[in-house]
Formats: sequence, C-alpha cells, structure tokens
Amino acid sequence: MNRFIQYSITFFAWISGIILIGAIGVLLIFLLFKGVSSLNSFLIFGETRPLDALLFRKDVLDGLFPAIIGTILLITASIVWAIPIGVASGIYLAEYCNLRWKPFFSFMLDLLAGIPSILVGLFGFTLSIFLHRHLSEHIYPCFLISSMALACLVLPYIIRTTEQALVNLPFSVKTTGLALGASRLQNILFILIPYNLSRIISGIILAIGRCAEDTAVIMLTGVVAMAGIPHSLLAKYEALPFYIFYISSDYNSQEELMKGFGACIILLAVCAVFFTLANILKRKAEIRFATRT
Amino acid sequence: MKPFIEKCAEKGFLFSAILSASITILILSFMIFFSFPIFKGGDIAAFFTLGWNPYEGKFGILPMMAGTGIIASLALFIATPFGIGCSALISVFSKGSSGRFLRKVVEFMTGIPTVIYGFVAIFLLVPFIREIFEKGTGMCVLSASIMLALLILPTIVLFLSDAFNSVPRSYIDAADSLGATPAQKLVYVIIPYAWKGIISGLVLAAGRAVGDTLIALMIAGNALQIPTGLDDAARTLTSHIALIIASDYESPEFKSIFLCGLILFTFTTLIVLIMRSLGYFKILGKR
Amino acid sequence: MEFKQKALLIGIAVLLLLGNSFSFAVAGDLDRFDGVKGTLRISGGTAHIPVMKEAAKRIMALNRDVKITIAGGGSGVGIKQVGEGLVDIGNSGRMATDDEIQRYGLKMHKFAIDGIAVVVNPRNPIVKMKKSQIIDIFSGKINNWKALGFKDRGINVYTRDASSGTRKVFWKKALNKGEITKSANFVKSHGAMKSAINVDPYGIGYISIGFLDDTVSSVSLDGIAPTLEKVRKGDYKIARGLYMNTKGEPVGLARLFIDYIMSKEGQKIVAENGYIAVK
Repeated sequence: MNRFIQYSITFFAWISGIILIGAIGVLLIFLLFKGVSSLNSFLIFGETRPLDALLFRKDVLDGLFPAIIGTILLITASIVWAIPIGVASGIYLAEYCNLRWKPFFSFMLDLLAGIPSILVGLFGFTLSIFLHRHLSEHIYPCFLISSMALACLVLPYIIRTTEQALVNLPFSVKTTGLALGASRLQNILFILIPYNLSRIISGIILAIGRCAEDTAVIMLTGVVAMAGIPHSLLAKYEALPFYIFYISSDYNSQEELMKGFGACIILLAVCAVFFTLANILKRKAEIRFATRT
Repeated sequence: MKPFIEKCAEKGFLFSAILSASITILILSFMIFFSFPIFKGGDIAAFFTLGWNPYEGKFGILPMMAGTGIIASLALFIATPFGIGCSALISVFSKGSSGRFLRKVVEFMTGIPTVIYGFVAIFLLVPFIREIFEKGTGMCVLSASIMLALLILPTIVLFLSDAFNSVPRSYIDAADSLGATPAQKLVYVIIPYAWKGIISGLVLAAGRAVGDTLIALMIAGNALQIPTGLDDAARTLTSHIALIIASDYESPEFKSIFLCGLILFTFTTLIVLIMRSLGYFKILGKR
Repeated sequence: MEFKQKALLIGIAVLLLLGNSFSFAVAGDLDRFDGVKGTLRISGGTAHIPVMKEAAKRIMALNRDVKITIAGGGSGVGIKQVGEGLVDIGNSGRMATDDEIQRYGLKMHKFAIDGIAVVVNPRNPIVKMKKSQIIDIFSGKINNWKALGFKDRGINVYTRDASSGTRKVFWKKALNKGEITKSANFVKSHGAMKSAINVDPYGIGYISIGFLDDTVSSVSLDGIAPTLEKVRKGDYKIARGLYMNTKGEPVGLARLFIDYIMSKEGQKIVAENGYIAVK
C-alpha cells in the first residue's frame, strides 16, 4: 500500500469524525440559539401562576405544563408495566429456561426489539378499536393503551439487560449462595440481583429515555394536541415529543414556533439527564466487575 | 423459602416470559388478521400497483415500498463510509482522548430524540436543500436520507468499533511487530477479521432506517409517487401508516396499512435472521 | 391589629364580590356550564380547531370539572370516530354523506360558513389566476411558475390527505373533480398547509379562509378575491359549511357545548376566527 493511500485513509477517518461532531454541534447550537430566548416560566405555565399549576390548583391552558406532566405520567405508567414483567422474564431466561426453549424466546424478543415502533403503535391502536367494539365502549385510544404499547416497546431492553446482568456473573458469585444452602430463588433475589443491580437499573433508565422520546407509538394511541392533565387512565393526554411534532407543522405564529424550540430543549435536557444517569450506573457496574474478577 | 413459594415464583417467571414472547406473536397475528380480507378477496395484486387514489378505488402501495427502499438505502449509502471512518478513528487511529471524545459524542447521539432531529431538519436542512436544488420544496428524498443517516450513524459506529476492538490482541501485536502503520493494520488485519461484524452493523442500521417513522414523515414530503430524483418528495411505508391511520376502519385504504405492517414485519424478521446467521444473537439498540 | 384584620377581610370580601360579578358579566353564555362535570372528546376537521380551542379554553377556565380534549385528523376521521362512539363530537368541513348519516344515525350541526382559498407564498407576485389555471396547476399540466409570469422555478403543489373535508370540497368545487398531481406534497392540517406555504416561495396550496393572514397571500379566482364578504354574498363559490356531528341527538356536555358554540358568545368566537357566523 503506498503512502498516499495510507494518508488518505487516515485523513478520511479524521474527516468523518470531524464532520459527525460538526453536524451534531450545528444541530445543538442551532437549537439552543433559537430556543433559549423562549425558556421562561411563561413557556411552561402560560398565564397561570407557577405555584397554582404545580399544586394543581389551576389548569394551565396555554403552556407546556400539561405536556410535561403527561410525559412524566406516561413514563411512570409504562415502566410500572414493563419492570415486573421485564425483570421476571429476564430472570427466567437467565436462570430457569432450558436450552430447548431459549432460542425460541430469544428469537421472539429480538423480533420485538426490531419491529418498527410504528407497528407497536398500530397494534395498540387496533387493539383499542377491537376492545371498544367487543368489550366496552369506554375503551378507545387513551393513556392506558399508550402506556401499555410503550411498555411493549421497551420490554425487550429490560429483559435483555436483566438477562445479561445475571448470565455474565462470575461463577464464584453464582454458586456461593447455593453452596451455603440458599434455595434457587433466594440465591437470585438476595445475591445475584443485588450484586448486579446497577446494571439492571441502567437498563431501566435507558428504557425510560425511550419512553420519554417516543413519538410514533403515542401518536397512534391517544395523544392529542390539547387535553390538559389526564385525570383517568382512559383519558386522552398531551406529551412533549408529540407537541414538538405537532408544532413542527402546525405552528400558527412565530411565537408558537419558538415554544416548539423551547419544548425541544426541555425534552433534550430530560433525555440527557436519563442518559447520563444510566451511563454512570453502568460504569459503576463495570468498575465493580473489573475489581472483583 | 418454602418450596411452594419457589414453585410459584418459577411459574411467575415463566408466565412473564411467555407473555413477553406472545406480544410479538400477537402483533404478527393482528397484522395477518386485519390484512387477511385482502388476501381472501384475491385482489392482492391490486395493492402492489403504482396508483394510490382512494377516490378512484386505487390502493397501490408500491410507491411507498419504493420510497422506503430508496430513502433507507440512500441513508445507508451516506452513513456507511462515515460510520467506518468514525469507528476506525475510535478503534484504530486515535485511541487517545479525541477517539474517546468521539465515542462519547456518538453515545450521546443515541439519546437524542428522533423528533428533535426532524424538528431541526425542517428549519435548518430543508431550506438549505431547497436553495441548492432550486427546485422542489426541500422536503425530499435527499433531506430525509441525510437526517436518517445521522440517526443511524451511532448504531453503525458503536457496533463497528466494538467489532474492530474484538480483533485478538495477538493479531494486532503481530502486525505491530512487522512495522505496520495504523492504516495498514485497518485494511489488512482488522477489516478482514471483523467483516462479519461490519456486515451485521450495517444490516442492523438498515433495519433502523427502514423502521423509522418520524424523519420521513416530517421531511420527506409524503408525495404518492415513486421518486425519480434526489429532489423528489416521497412517502415511506411507516409514514404511510401514520398518515392513513385516521381513515375509515372499513375501507380498503385502512386495510392496506396492515399490509404495509406485514411487509415491515417480514423485513424485521429477515434482519434478525441475517444477524443470527452472522453469529450475532443479541440485538440491542435504539430503533 | 384587629381593625386591620377586619379591614383586610372586608377588602377581600369586596374583591371577591367584584371578581364574581365581573366574571358573571363576561360569562353570560358560559353559565350553562356551572356545576357540570365530565369529559368531552372532540376530533376531526382541522379548520374547526381554533374555534374549538378557544371555546374549550373559556369553558375550562371557568369550570375545572369539565375536561375537553381536542384532536385533529380531518373530516373523515371526525365522522368515523363519532360514528364509532370514539368521540362525542366529530367535526367535519363537509356534509356527511347519506351513507354516513344512515350508517351511524348522525346529526349535523352547522355552526359556521367558510371559504377555501388558494394560497401562495407572500414573495410570489401571482395573486390572480383563472380557475382553469388552478385546475392545470393542481393536475400538474402547468408545472413551472414561468408559465404564469413568475420565476423559472417548478411549482410545488401541496395537498391534504383523503380524510380531509377541505380537499373533498376543493376537489369538487375548484378542480371540478380533476386529478391532483402525484408529486404533490401532503400536509395534515390547515395550520400545516399555512406554515408549509409560508416557508416555500414556490409552493401553492389551499386553506380555509379563517386561517388567512399575512404569512401567506391568497389568490383571487377569475377576478374574485376569497374574502368573507364575497363568500357571504355567494360570489366566491368555493365555500362550505363547518359542522359538528353527533351520533343521534347530542346529550349532556356535547349538548351544552354545541349550544354554547351556537350562542352569541360562541358565534362571536366563530367570527373572531375568520369564519361567517350562522346566527
């Protein structure tokens, strides 16, 4: 290989790195540049006094507050569905499942992880229509359906991290409890899971981030442009990512557009916090392994 | 603990696992069940035509399939060289602080919401593209592909740099002792060893590109035509679902979105099968 | 101290009374929502949204026990969803077809009259066209602004999806049921149409007259400008009613809401949003 080609390869690698960082930099700077001026309490609370809104004494009718609360509630509900099922499935796959069935389960989960999120949304939508016709006419695309669909979306991540967290433990850790007379369940609950808890939690936090940012699923399953804070599981609701999507095409004034930029910054900040948290926990888990094994 | 509780817990774990797996099956059966009338009607061929005009009873989804195919392949075409370049930088050329910084940035990118990429693209990239072509709206195949490329880059870079790092130490040492430069190591040692990983990373990224809804929905223009140029507007299968979801549930157009869903599902299955045949069983990553 | 407290109490009482009488004076037509509880779900036509939003805002500011959710989707969605019982009021920018009325037992409530205007970017000097030119532009036969005396740039046609009532009316009354070019870009609502045309110097689309402002310029057809005045007189033909549809006779909150929109204050909201009140 002659010098010139070698240099070009090295040069190309550096250039692609610089372009990538440049692209992301431009994106973030543009967002901050446009949006920072709109970041104030009016953006979130509108004309309502912040304290009244925070104590739910008054409804916010023209701020982002209902969308923020909607997103928080949505994340909470989805995680409440997904954690028990996800962790339990992870435990089953790591500790109980026999080799005959494992490929089947892992294939199904890989598929679920790979399905475009819009299909999960379509599934939720169709399910709600189906239930509306055949079960109860109080069911229609709503908060409950959205949270269940989002749970389906993040389930494979939680299962996989739990499974990995348990499978990759050192042999000595796995067997010590059993040798001391602990039962299989005791061993899992009191030794294996606590041992690698931060890894599992980091997976859960990443799942939270996915719930916070997802738009495709919720826009098919019950999010609307104006609803206020949902007061029941069967209500429609607002959410930050959908607000951004809606504003991107439906803004009526420059002012509304600026609110969209403000919403982008808030959502980005929320996701960045979750992301950093997950990474710190993951690092902690890695360091622990590096020192113990 | 009592054996009874042990048994219950085990049953509970099994039940959860079955429940999780059955979600996949349930989604598939919904797609099949609701698109079944199309197959039964025998007019399946009518859906694979070029025309989409509900007023005239035309429901061809071929333009959407073409839109998905073209936008996703173009995104992959743009992202692949950059992806290989970046991961080579991280794993080969700069193992010091700049490489680490790049990896941090790429990891952070996975946390940026898709809707934000779309939002910024509408106000930054689209006007720019419109002025470059001096034709069309700027909402076109090229805009969508560029943003989609940015969206799938982290998948490619993280997967590839892991694959590059998986080359055994002894290979690298051998090359080093022969006096190989980093570029030579990359071309003669690392890429030949890690080609399976590279292909897998690209296949996975292709899956993400096909499965993404928002970018195409927001900036591809959603026109019902087979795009013939980079500046043409197009509609993907995923954005077609998002756009048609609101129509009459009895109508053939509504049923056609389940056909779109079935196509996307089949594609996902294909991706997973390819990944498995290449030896990658754990597919984790953002869609 | 005691005196001060008393004075304060009296002051507060007076303020409260004043505040009360003040809100009574403004509310008037809103009185019907006093003491009412419940949820009202509205979806469908996007031309209706500004009116619905303003009405909902006023109602919810007065009575926190009433929750009103508003979604878009288009006229087709509104009719379908109200028929299926998914929402309480389904809005449409066209009359429901006989088939739809029969299938669901729909009741239509016309609350405003609206015109549909052809719009272009404010930088585009072409603000007068013939109807035949519009037909040719939307079918793709004329595809360059040069043919109309503007720059040598392609015409970007924007249209709405099949669920849109605006599209259906526009297609029937402006395009004489002519074809819409396949290369047309799709947008999902009136707001989206307006912002798309606003940023695209070479775009052309159609929106409800209520959405017209200085961010887009409207095109007069065969010499008749799309204004409320011309629509009212019947000179500008591309007009339609805006409807709220219910399944059967409206009851409860839906009844109250429709009555409110039909009331003096409701019709004022209609007029303020650029539509022609029906009462």
